[in-house]
Amino acid sequence: MIQLLLVFAAAIFGIGVYGALSQQSFVMIMMGLELMLNSAVLVVITFWWGTTGGNPAGQLLVIVVLAVMAIEAAMGFALVTAVYRSRKADITEKLKKLRS
Amino acid sequence: MNPGALSYVLVSVFGVGAVVSGWLVFRTDSMLRAAYWLMVSFVAVGAMLVVLDAQFLGLILILMMSGEMTIMAIFMIMFMMNPAGLNPMVMVHQNRTAIAAGVGSFLVLAWVGLVAEFPDRPAPIDDPTAELGEELLGRSMLVFESAGVALLAVMIGAIALAAKRGRFGDADAGSVEPAIDIESSVDPAVEAVADADHADDADDHGAGHGMGHGT
Amino acid sequence: MTVLGVVVQVAAVLIGGAYLLAVADRLAGGGSANVLAALAHPIERASFLLLQPVTTTERPDLPAWILAPSLLAGLAAVGAVPVPIGGPSAAGDISAGLVLFGAAMLIVLVAVFIFGWAPNSAMPMIGGYRFAAMVLSIGIPFSLVVLTTAIPAESLSVGVIVESQSNLWYIVVQPLGFVIYLVTAAAIAFWGPFDLPEGADLAGGIAAEAAGPRLAMWRLAQAALMVTLSLMGAAVFLGGYHGPVLPGWGWTLLKTALVLLVLASTGRTIARMRVQRLVWFGWVVLLPLALVDVFVSGWIAL
Repeated sequence: MIQLLLVFAAAIFGIGVYGALSQQSFVMIMMGLELMLNSAVLVVITFWWGTTGGNPAGQLLVIVVLAVMAIEAAMGFALVTAVYRSRKADITEKLKKLRS
Repeated sequence: MNPGALSYVLVSVFGVGAVVSGWLVFRTDSMLRAAYWLMVSFVAVGAMLVVLDAQFLGLILILMMSGEMTIMAIFMIMFMMNPAGLNPMVMVHQNRTAIAAGVGSFLVLAWVGLVAEFPDRPAPIDDPTAELGEELLGRSMLVFESAGVALLAVMIGAIALAAKRGRFGDADAGSVEPAIDIESSVDPAVEAVADADHADDADDHGAGHGMGHGT
Repeated sequence: MTVLGVVVQVAAVLIGGAYLLAVADRLAGGGSANVLAALAHPIERASFLLLQPVTTTERPDLPAWILAPSLLAGLAAVGAVPVPIGGPSAAGDISAGLVLFGAAMLIVLVAVFIFGWAPNSAMPMIGGYRFAAMVLSIGIPFSLVVLTTAIPAESLSVGVIVESQSNLWYIVVQPLGFVIYLVTAAAIAFWGPFDLPEGADLAGGIAAEAAGPRLAMWRLAQAALMVTLSLMGAAVFLGGYHGPVLPGWGWTLLKTALVLLVLASTGRTIARMRVQRLVWFGWVVLLPLALVDVFVSGWIAL
């Protein structure tokens, strides 16, 4: 059962890596990051369920990951908005130069 | 441990669902569908968490993501040039490297998961939600508070970054769309037009309250 | 209770409640005061819509358009599952039932948004945006007041929350919470003064392009959502199945009908707000009041 769950988590993580590396749009890159965090949640709960004897600190770690997700989303959207305002840029290729 | 056959079936179904919908996120042209396929992936993982006796966390994950994915869909529609995917388009770069990295990380992680020996200490099924609450507001109070303070800092920072009016005037004053090939020299005529646009913009922003700048 | 039993029970309650809501809405100002005509009205309206042809638009997102009404109805049903109707231990032993309800009510945002997006038409999409702005500002006070009822009961299970109200209904200790619940529940079901996503200024908003069986399903799903919200309100604030003489399910249904009638009567009698003011109202008025409710009930529970 643990092996099955870990393989699923690895597959989700792999898709997330592909998305974060290959997409041009900022928001699509954030989707890749979210998928990686999604797989992290799954792995943490898998280990909490199967190997820790029910140590509640395992569940606590998921709360931390959820907070990280919220922070990533909020900062990501804020940065996308700020970059669009100052550069009218919506894809990574438009940000090759740091100074405009 | 001996999970029942039912949990095997449920975990397999939701796991395949999570992987397939995660894959479809990057295979669809419609931005709305991409955002909601990602939500389906999160809902499937949340359901797996429920099967693994972490009901509270699974449902909280679903609750959080349904709101976040709608925000994501709105941002995609705001910032993408073809949000409905009515014209097929490919917006990827370094595709082969990305595929190699994705497949590689999957193979390495799956190999670790299949080969490594893990201790077999299953969680007792009494009341994990109550245990989590006691941990959160007892021994690990500091972690909980740190997360709260970090979220507060992020709220302030995100508002400061995204606010339309900053300390030095409008955030989008004088912004010009960069050319895709930014290295090539900019035509002076184009710059003159951009300046004229800018003058128009300054008038608009006095009265404008809109969030986005078109789809 | 078996799974099939729960399904049948939830479906019966939701459809019966939806019928009651349609009749009450007709009597409350949507037409004549003739009771017989009002009783027949939902059936007339439903058969009219079911016989009407389905219209379509240019290049709609058809799967999403077909899915959205069923998704909304399904969410209403999922939200109703944790509520014990007949008495203790019926179906209320989902240990995080209140969170399940909250999650289902937030996914309503998704269903409404894709229903507005799918027709590929301007007015429905603006309606979808309006609903997103509404729910993101109203949803937090909603979740807070619902979760506040778990504080005195010391459990997230709806069954335990109802059971703990055998002496004192929570509306007595949390009157503020109940009022906020009614306001935000009407907003989540885009009902009454909060029907901005399908307002007349948008030519019907999210439902502007829908017709025929699709519109019938959408209206049924919206009414079922209202019933689910009333059912949960009756369970966590009005003591659910507790009451003298009548059997447990009688009290649950009576209280649900009462909440439903209150919402139906306010639906056409309170003035609407513009969506900008509604967002302001959610963040500046409702959210602090909900926090006051949390603090007061926490203080009482201690």
